[in-house]
Amino acid sequence: MKLTLPIAVALCALTGTAMAADKTLTISVYSFAQDAYKKALYDPFEEICGCDLVIETGNSVERMAKIEANADDPVIDMAVISSHDALSLARKGLIAPLDTSKLSSFDRLYPAAQDPIGNNMAVGYTFYASSIVYRKDLVEIESWGDLLDKKLAGNVALPNITGTQGPLTLMMLDKAMGGKPDDFGPVISEIGKKADDIVTFYSRSSELAQLMNQEEVIAAPVGRFAWSRFKGSPLPFAWANPAEGQAGGMNVMIMTKGNGNEELAYKLMDYWISTEVQTRIAEALIDSPANMDVKVSQEVADNLTYGAELIESLNILDPATIIDNREAWVEQWNADVIK
Amino acid sequence: MFLNTREGLALALPAAFFSLLLFLVPVGILLSEAFQSDTGWTLSGYTDFFAKPLNQVVFFRTLKLGVLVAGTAAVIGYAAAFCIVNLGPTARGRVFGLVVLPLMISPVARTYAWIVILGRTGIVNDAIVGLGLSETPIRLLFTETAVFLGLLQLFMPLMIISLVSAMENIPRDVIPAARVLGASWLQVFVRVILPLTKEGLVIGGTLVFTGALTAYITPAILGGSKVLMLETLLYQRVNVANDFVSASVIAMILMVMSFSANLLLKRIASARR
Repeated sequence: MKLTLPIAVALCALTGTAMAADKTLTISVYSFAQDAYKKALYDPFEEICGCDLVIETGNSVERMAKIEANADDPVIDMAVISSHDALSLARKGLIAPLDTSKLSSFDRLYPAAQDPIGNNMAVGYTFYASSIVYRKDLVEIESWGDLLDKKLAGNVALPNITGTQGPLTLMMLDKAMGGKPDDFGPVISEIGKKADDIVTFYSRSSELAQLMNQEEVIAAPVGRFAWSRFKGSPLPFAWANPAEGQAGGMNVMIMTKGNGNEELAYKLMDYWISTEVQTRIAEALIDSPANMDVKVSQEVADNLTYGAELIESLNILDPATIIDNREAWVEQWNADVIK
Repeated sequence: MFLNTREGLALALPAAFFSLLLFLVPVGILLSEAFQSDTGWTLSGYTDFFAKPLNQVVFFRTLKLGVLVAGTAAVIGYAAAFCIVNLGPTARGRVFGLVVLPLMISPVARTYAWIVILGRTGIVNDAIVGLGLSETPIRLLFTETAVFLGLLQLFMPLMIISLVSAMENIPRDVIPAARVLGASWLQVFVRVILPLTKEGLVIGGTLVFTGALTAYITPAILGGSKVLMLETLLYQRVNVANDFVSASVIAMILMVMSFSANLLLKRIASARR
């Protein structure tokens, strides 16, 4: 009899654990800063929900391909991707509209993040500015047009057209050249003419950071999320404030259609955009907040894309424009620039 | 032999099964994608691929660099192999060890070393500026020259090893005999050494050419997106565009190029017999 109680307690505990482990949420995320994300988001969420998070990482193409390949029986319940990739999945009917009433922090999001691709198919969780990082001891950057100027010939890297930063750079060069919005043909031709003056077309911000730290390149457009790779360098890097302004983008959360795990996915989404978590993520300098109530120190703010004024000033490229034109841009880019 | 045919076949069966199931079948499935469309079998994957100017440029660049790397490796390899086989046993072992040593170092590390050497602040540019050959550092990285040097350094040991083992089989007296009979060194090479080492040249040439065609890390790091080669283009098609048809076409082209190079070299070698 003496043993009955401890055994019963142990059985309860075991059953409890087993039940907790039964609840699993599979999410697909960018592979960067995963250790920091585990501390700021995944571990605290697992404690609250009593569930297990399965984290899948990879580049956008791989992650989208996986969602598409398993459309009939989704493996991924929820994903975070760029707004134009989200729109592409929405057009293929692979994601479900969100019931925003299930997100208690929804009203705290900046208006631009509340329905970024229409039909409530996604909510934004982070903004990023894109501008030019440059060596302030060697050059002054006043305009996006400086990237193609003679003074920087042989010292500039541009992002590849296939990445997220590529179209943003085209948009800003188009603005600097006074071209028609959304018609990037003339810009791509211009880059083609100057292709020999461009050191390389980079694909990942880590690749650019290495090139700049090795002094192969002295100026290049990059997302603010990569700034931490430059600010600690012994070389004097600066973040440009070009006359045309900064470009910007947003990453969003989406729900795969018919995954059967919607309740848990909503819980994670709501937790992720809550003031508490967004503040923690911002303070760790992982991602910039999309929640208006997040308050951070000036020092933290300086390293992020922070505050209504800055976010409203960003030049954002319409996700539909990217999806509708990307193939033509890549085609022209391959013909004129890569050759 | 202590084995009869049946025992031999039984022993080979697990390896053959392994190769068939885990290599040939998946490769067959992958490559067949390049011949399929919604309506049936087609060659449109190939015609579409070669219709694009960028793909033509990348194809001919890959072929050119493969031939250049294999050719240069053969020239340097013959000189190195000739020196090695004429060394004493101890020195030969040591020098041969040095030749093999780079093969034990990761290609990533070896390629990154070229970044340090060829960069704007690297030793080559320091020397160029120091000697007054140019006022400012010149662009060496992200050029075909950088990719060529990286590939040559990566695969030359394979050529040297093949040629050393071929030269070791040349009877000791034939070269002195040719010299005594009045042959110049060029004649000795063309009429004695080359015919007697052609098997090594075929093996080394195939290994270096195939290696240069199919290397990914070196062209990706030293060439980047400005000096695309078939292998880096293949990666881009899969990872950026999710375009498995083009990727299968490229894989097939690479296989055909490798087999053709081997057949061509064998044909040249037998034609000289």
